[in-house]
Amino acid sequence: MEKDQVFMGEAVQAGWNSCSFGMEMETDELNCVGSCFLNPKWHNLMDQSDPFESALSSMVCSPAASNAGSTNFPASGDNTMMTDLIGKLGNICNTGDISPQSLIKPQNNNNNCSSNTSCYTSPLDSPPKLNLSMMGGNQILKHPSLVPVSVDPGFAERAARFSCFNGLNAQLGVTEAEFVQLTRVSTNQSVMVTGSQVHVPDSNKNTLQDGNSCSDKRNSRLSRCSSPENGDSKDESSISEQIPGVGSSIKAQNDANARKRKSMPRGKAKETPSPAAADAKIAEENDESTAKRSKQQNDSAKAENKENPKPPEPPKDYIHVRARRGQATDSHSLAERVRREKISERMKFLQDLVPGCNKVTGKALMLDEIINYVQSLQRQVEFLSMKLATVNPRMNANTEALLSKDMFRSRGSLPHSHYPMDSSALAFGLRYQPQQGLPMNNGISNDTQIQFSMNPANAALHKTQGLQLPPVDGISDANPQIGSFWGDDLQSIVQMGFGQNQPQSCQSKHS
Amino acid sequence: MNNPHHLNPTSLKSRFTTRFLRALTKIRAQKPISSSSPTEIFRRYRRIKVAADKSMAYSVRSRRIWSRAMLWKLRSRSYRRQDPCSGRRSGKTSQAIMKKSSNENTTTRREDGVGFVEEADELRQLVPGGETMNLCNLLDETAHYIKCLTTQVQVMKKIADFYSF
Repeated sequence: MEKDQVFMGEAVQAGWNSCSFGMEMETDELNCVGSCFLNPKWHNLMDQSDPFESALSSMVCSPAASNAGSTNFPASGDNTMMTDLIGKLGNICNTGDISPQSLIKPQNNNNNCSSNTSCYTSPLDSPPKLNLSMMGGNQILKHPSLVPVSVDPGFAERAARFSCFNGLNAQLGVTEAEFVQLTRVSTNQSVMVTGSQVHVPDSNKNTLQDGNSCSDKRNSRLSRCSSPENGDSKDESSISEQIPGVGSSIKAQNDANARKRKSMPRGKAKETPSPAAADAKIAEENDESTAKRSKQQNDSAKAENKENPKPPEPPKDYIHVRARRGQATDSHSLAERVRREKISERMKFLQDLVPGCNKVTGKALMLDEIINYVQSLQRQVEFLSMKLATVNPRMNANTEALLSKDMFRSRGSLPHSHYPMDSSALAFGLRYQPQQGLPMNNGISNDTQIQFSMNPANAALHKTQGLQLPPVDGISDANPQIGSFWGDDLQSIVQMGFGQNQPQSCQSKHS
Repeated sequence: MNNPHHLNPTSLKSRFTTRFLRALTKIRAQKPISSSSPTEIFRRYRRIKVAADKSMAYSVRSRRIWSRAMLWKLRSRSYRRQDPCSGRRSGKTSQAIMKKSSNENTTTRREDGVGFVEEADELRQLVPGGETMNLCNLLDETAHYIKCLTTQVQVMKKIADFYSF
């Protein structure tokens, strides 16, 4: 069983690899992050044991299977003759081949398993050749279904690419060593670990290739796809466990520096022994986490992504800006986009404020318009203050009238709390002109005066309540009228006297 | 007459009008206009201008960056000149404002990719305290500043009309 698991894992991984390279036309699907809809597909395919081969062929695994089918035979024939490249290719192919078998009839693999496990656990130094020799011959021959699958038009391409990977694989001995440790840690699942381990170099190759980032996506999606497999058999559940780990590992290799960091979650994912259902969930969780991680790493792997025609779009739940197609997804450009949106929003707001800004197109011109407007406003203020400074001194009294009006208004609107001090202060300030106010006060009803005189403490409140309305037409809205009609102004002075000088005058009268 | 807009006590306009008229009264009360010599007029003009700015900034209070900057500028200038008509408040607030503006100075200025850097810099010269803002803040403050300036101009125009009929 363990061996089966191994094979499955490898098969799936091999499928991913091949998928990442051979099936680049699927980028549309890959771009949409929530590719959960692929899961049911896969699930159905897995459930149906009979059409499974066809399903595999149609699905991601098909290239791997084809690879295996075609290459394994020669590889098994002359093991020693194979170079490292071909050996690696054969290894991948083997895994691809074995996986369909294990799915369909796991008992077939029993023979191979013994040999294979040994191959995989030891093979860290030289995995490809052993695999080829041991596995290729037995299983592929047993499995007739692979023969039609092997006829794959895109195979030549893939084979070439795989061969390219081998060279890279040799360089990645360090990562393999890490995985060896992992395999030792878990004896039962050592097979699985080895499977993932075998993968990691593959993933390394992927990342080193151009379309690596796409491979991330595919891997994550495949992990989800594989999770439904768990319902079929235990073996496959173990595969699903591996898959997130593999995805993370691939991402880890996106950034060479982050390798160690990622190795930890990978090991975790593998070592979690879990029933099928739990596995599926774990796989998805891992998938999400890896996807986020991949997003973070996209920054570091920016250069690679630029080469990538269609960069992956990881789920960005926490950032509310989504990159549209063809837009960069690294955090810098996202932040830049957010900033630009903010700026354009404010510009729109300013456009409404500044007259004549609507006709202008272009932000620079709009800003020019805004600058002109601000300048003109500032000049207007200067001009007006100059005008106020040169106002005829004979209008001095009117200032007080105006002020009183304004004070009334403000006090009327804020009767109690706002300017308790103002009344006294103003009364103080205005005392020097009671001669204007007093004669006018004659027309004012005496009872109010009496009230004021009787209750000076409440005077302020009375003033505010009684005088709310008249001053309203004062400065703010009807100044031209007031200006033209001196009588109104006098009236205001009267009111002023009523409001402010009245208490004093009344008190003086009464006292 | 019953325009509720003018009755709104919390509106910026009423606050500004109140303050500005008070300041005007003070200025006139302190120095009754006697001479019409240009220097006298100019001094009066400066004072009125400062009063207008200050009352504007005070009515905005320290909610906005530009008003804080303007208040700080006015205060420092009034301290320097020992301007008697400047209503001085505690120096602590000015220091706080200074500190704040220095904090805003650290905000990153990355509008290189925007394409209107010169205009933005020009706008920075106009909006008080704009030197320390990034572009987003600058546009925000400019919008508010324009609103306040419009109000100021309206009120001052009315007052001037009232005086010089």
